[in-house]
Amino acid sequence: MITIKNEYLPEKMKPIRFRMETDDTYTIVFSKRTMSHAGQFYMLSVDGVGESPISVASGFGNPLTFSIKAVGSVTKYIMDHRDSAIGLRGPYGNAWPWKGADHIVAIAGGIGIPPIKALIEDMESEGNLGDLTVLYGARSPKDIVYKNEIEAWKKELDFRITVDNGDPSWKGNVGVVTTLIPGVERYKNGSAFVIGPPIMMKFSVQELIKHGFSPENIYLSLERRMECGIGVCGHCNIGQWYVCESGPIFRYSDVMNEPEVFL
Amino acid sequence: MIYELTEKDMERLLQKIGEEYDVFGSKEELGEVVFSKISSFSEVSEKKSSYSPKDFLIKRSENILEIPRVEKKAVFGVKSCDLRGFYLMDLQILNKDPFYTVRRQNTLFINFVCTEKCPGGFCTSFGGPVLDDYDIQVLHIGQSYFVEADPRYEGYLAGFRPALDQDVFVKHSEEFNRKYGKIELNGIEKRMKWSSKLWTEFANYCISCGACNYSCPTCYCIDVYDDETGRKKEWDSCILEGFTRTAAGNVRPDLSDRLRQRFYHKFKYYKLSKGEYLCTGCNRCVDDCPVDIDIKEVITHDYDKE
Ligand SMILES: Cc1cc2nc3c(=O)[nH]c(=O)nc-3n(C[C@H](O)[C@H](O)[C@H](O)COP(=O)(O)OP(=O)(O)OC[C@H]3O[C@@H](n4cnc5c(N)ncnc54)[C@H](O)[C@@H]3O)c2cc1C
Ligand code: SF4
Ligand code: SF4
Ligand code: FES
Repeated sequence: MITIKNEYLPEKMKPIRFRMETDDTYTIVFSKRTMSHAGQFYMLSVDGVGESPISVASGFGNPLTFSIKAVGSVTKYIMDHRDSAIGLRGPYGNAWPWKGADHIVAIAGGIGIPPIKALIEDMESEGNLGDLTVLYGARSPKDIVYKNEIEAWKKELDFRITVDNGDPSWKGNVGVVTTLIPGVERYKNGSAFVIGPPIMMKFSVQELIKHGFSPENIYLSLERRMECGIGVCGHCNIGQWYVCESGPIFRYSDVMNEPEVFL
Repeated sequence: MIYELTEKDMERLLQKIGEEYDVFGSKEELGEVVFSKISSFSEVSEKKSSYSPKDFLIKRSENILEIPRVEKKAVFGVKSCDLRGFYLMDLQILNKDPFYTVRRQNTLFINFVCTEKCPGGFCTSFGGPVLDDYDIQVLHIGQSYFVEADPRYEGYLAGFRPALDQDVFVKHSEEFNRKYGKIELNGIEKRMKWSSKLWTEFANYCISCGACNYSCPTCYCIDVYDDETGRKKEWDSCILEGFTRTAAGNVRPDLSDRLRQRFYHKFKYYKLSKGEYLCTGCNRCVDDCPVDIDIKEVITHDYDKE
């Protein structure tokens, strides 16, 4: 009899901390520490409800953290039942290729910010924060995730933020995140990392190319429906690749001719 | 080494295998050819089964939080086109899906090479019906059963008579191909067009029943979901609207997008990622389609004229 590991079987754990970030987005922290890297994801699940892919917001030896926007059955259930055990399996997928790049411009839209938080921590752990510029766009001031962390990050790295729609108390930039791109310094061998809603990624890529980035130096974290996370269920393909297996991060030049890159 | 067995020898072979495996076979029951338990070689039907034997490896639906005890099974009478489906799926899901893997490792398939082509079948386009990869492969000609085994199973053939003609399979393959010809694939992965009107044309008839996926011996996609009884995986269909629906939108909102995905997966994406087409020419998807959509048209269509 061959015994075989059941990759679908999650490890169950209760979060040790829960924090609301905005009206519909929350952060959960587990005591578990893993060597997962920025860009990778876990499958989070609730028995009887379902499973969802969620990016690592803090890994790399830190207590495992996720930040989640409540949009459907699993993501709402976790928000409404803060005390329930959550199933975890992973980490899956590849990581942001920040090592070896001269300078990185990371662009996050909306709930794309958690893997950029992980990136900041990953790079910080090797003393590389001077090489990072972050552009973050939120819909409005009240949709900004990680308000506390952002204050600290602004002191350690070039962190710029904008909102689509301001409010009377907002003193910062107003406009979509792509409007920040022309303002970043150009580095010869700089890379850009982009994550966010499909339309935001599409326009960010156009703007980056206008600003002198080559498709080889732009990386996208792509989102697809995922059900297994391990290259079996067949749901997450973009062209010949399964996003869970070959991604979620892709070099733009590798996928730019796929008609289904952006939704 | 190719062996030549008589019908009596085949019975002995089956009994020998039966000492280690639960034996199944394609068998006629109430006018259908189905796979069920057998105890004698005489029960085996050489007709093409009504359904592919896919559910020996991928259950229609099962709980995924626990791997069940898997018995060793031997299956007689599988058609080459169906068996080839497993070798193709192996390239993507073997050693990834634990359920598929444990069953694949514990199931022995004995495939029967066709001597006549089934209606609609186009296995010759993919090198069939004689296979290069198999567990135990059988060619029944007249009174003789020519049998060859992969080294893992060669032991079962010890003691039987080696065939005088060691080229029977090669010769049969040549003859079969000469007799029935083949549809040339002709670099289909490069010929298909994203904007072809074929996809919208098919979408006009298709009723999104998913039969093409369920009957296909190479379709491995599954739906993972929870209900009151636990977490399940279930055969899924890329033709269904929900297949790619996410909270952020749907990459394939139109039926024509989804039909194109099915054919692109079979004839382009798999070729690029795994070096093989994800089709064996079994024609099951055509036989089971209620509105007569024929995958062969995807191959023969003249895209250059569009
Ligand atoms: C690699 C990756 C990383 C992600 N990281 C985060 C993150 O850090 N924070 C966050 O808030 N969201 C993230 N998402 C999006 C998140 O997975 C979906 O919002 C979530 O699956 C919705 O699940 P639900 O059950 O609440 O919604 P429902 O609409 O009820 O979803 C039902 C099922 O559909 C699938 N599904 C639905 N939407 C998506 C989607 N957008 N992407 C993939 N599968 C989906 C899932 O299998 C889900 O269980 C990520 C998506 C991917 C692919
Ligand atoms: S497609 Fe080929 S191998 Fe399959 S049943 Fe028909 S003739 Fe036999
Ligand atoms: S002919 Fe149809 S059912 Fe048979 S392998 Fe090809 S796609 Fe699948
Ligand atoms: S999520 Fe199942 S194949 Fe990628």
